Amino acid sequence: MTLAAYLRIWLASIRYSVVRTMMFRFDFFLWVIVDVAWMSVNLLLLEVLFNHTDSIAGWTKPEMMLLFGTSMLIMRMFIGLFFTNLFSVDRAVREGTFDFYLAQPGNPLFMISTRKVDLDGVFNTGLAAGIVIYAVRQMGLAPSAGTIALYAFMVLCGLVIHYATVVMLVSLSFWIVRMQGLEGGYFSIFDLSRLPRRALGRVLDVVFVYIIPATIVSNFPAEVFRSGINPTQTVWLALVAGAWLAAAATLFHLGLRRYSSASS
Amino acid sequence: MTALFDKYRHVFAMGLQSGLVYRWNFLLRVLFSLLHLAALYALWSATYAERDTIGGYSFQQTMSYFLCLVIANYLISAFNEDYQIGEEIRGGTINQFLTKPIDYYTYRLTIFFANRLVTGVVVAIPILVCLPLVGEFLPRDVEPWRWVVLLPSILLSAIIQFSVAYCFGLLAFWFLEIQGFVILSLAVETLLSGQVFPLDLMPEFLFRLSQWLPFYYQAYFPVAIVTGRVPDPAAAQHGMMIQLLWVLLLMGLGRVLWHRGLRRHTAVGG
Repeated sequence: MTLAAYLRIWLASIRYSVVRTMMFRFDFFLWVIVDVAWMSVNLLLLEVLFNHTDSIAGWTKPEMMLLFGTSMLIMRMFIGLFFTNLFSVDRAVREGTFDFYLAQPGNPLFMISTRKVDLDGVFNTGLAAGIVIYAVRQMGLAPSAGTIALYAFMVLCGLVIHYATVVMLVSLSFWIVRMQGLEGGYFSIFDLSRLPRRALGRVLDVVFVYIIPATIVSNFPAEVFRSGINPTQTVWLALVAGAWLAAAATLFHLGLRRYSSASS
Repeated sequence: MTALFDKYRHVFAMGLQSGLVYRWNFLLRVLFSLLHLAALYALWSATYAERDTIGGYSFQQTMSYFLCLVIANYLISAFNEDYQIGEEIRGGTINQFLTKPIDYYTYRLTIFFANRLVTGVVVAIPILVCLPLVGEFLPRDVEPWRWVVLLPSILLSAIIQFSVAYCFGLLAFWFLEIQGFVILSLAVETLLSGQVFPLDLMPEFLFRLSQWLPFYYQAYFPVAIVTGRVPDPAAAQHGMMIQLLWVLLLMGLGRVLWHRGLRRHTAVGG
């Protein structure tokens, strides 16, 4: 299948998701409120911390808001586009309904990843972007189009890392029969993306920068506004995103070999 | 009375068995909790970098608070009871309880206690393994009266946690999908039960306000007792009175929702 064909399939999924959301409007509004509540919890944490301090690991309040905002932005994009789809892999494998994706004429990972789009997540991506813009203004910056484009590129690299991490997590479903509570794992890992890298200390820095790239996912894009363009960080993040995605796809396809259909 | 005890003793044994089925899931959750603890350590150590105390508490005391909170969560938190109750209503398996001499609230509460006993034991293993890492954050020099009031307080917290989850689960009588309500309430509970930051770091009037809400008594209160954030026995006694009041109110609300919900419920099938 060509790239254009894949794009057409994804667009069809989005169309289907829009129609579905129109049918369950109450659900849409409820989930928007849910997400606003969770974003508020994060911002309140900042508010409380900065009632007692002026900076955290050298980051001021607007800079921390930029970091939190960037972390939320990537997370909301991921939740809107892939979260529900990927976390349905466990059930699909256990109950044998994964056959449905194998029977389709496309890459099974792509097929299950793009099954539907959660429009509330997409909507909340806009809210998270609003927090980033507010933080940048509070920092007194007027970034150029080039800086904004680089920030957007690095955010997309972050999205790829989120996606790849969850693909690796859910690929364990091929080996372990029942994987409950994995969603919590996703949030626990990327909890660390809200922290300035300097706050980590030596051991955590090794784990959450070099082994699991959870911290650089939002630190590097935020640094674009905070300290200016850094080519090393840009290339580093892009390479990690590529390598992480390749590793995730490999693990998923290794797992797929173990899948035995549940149909008779 | 003996027959009643006998009936729920069997339910308790059943709850132990079902809890053991998910022991690996809980071990995985504990692993994720340790990640969460690591994130908290990094954030708060950076916040404490240029000062010795925040809100009158040292870094050791703040980390002790979060460590106790993580342990308490495994002993008293309602993880997915709301979802399970909602599923039983939606799937119709609740019908079996309507024809049996069994009280649904007591039945679910008994299973909840049995499950928490299992998760409490399961969580003890990794905590013991990590003792060299987290040992310095265990509460120090705890006065004896704190241990005495901790037990009833933590029991009441567990009942509040369960009763809140029970009420949300019963919403399935009215709504097809309750997950949104559950996650929304989780956000409020997470904030106001002190999971994000110790509540006494909030501005004074907000802290005072939070003390009248049930969420304060879900986890913050018992942890505050053992970590010294509740100043004296009189304050603990006052808190426990409000906690008991919330237990009664929530149990009453659960009963009202159950009876109203049943009026809407339609049992289908043989």
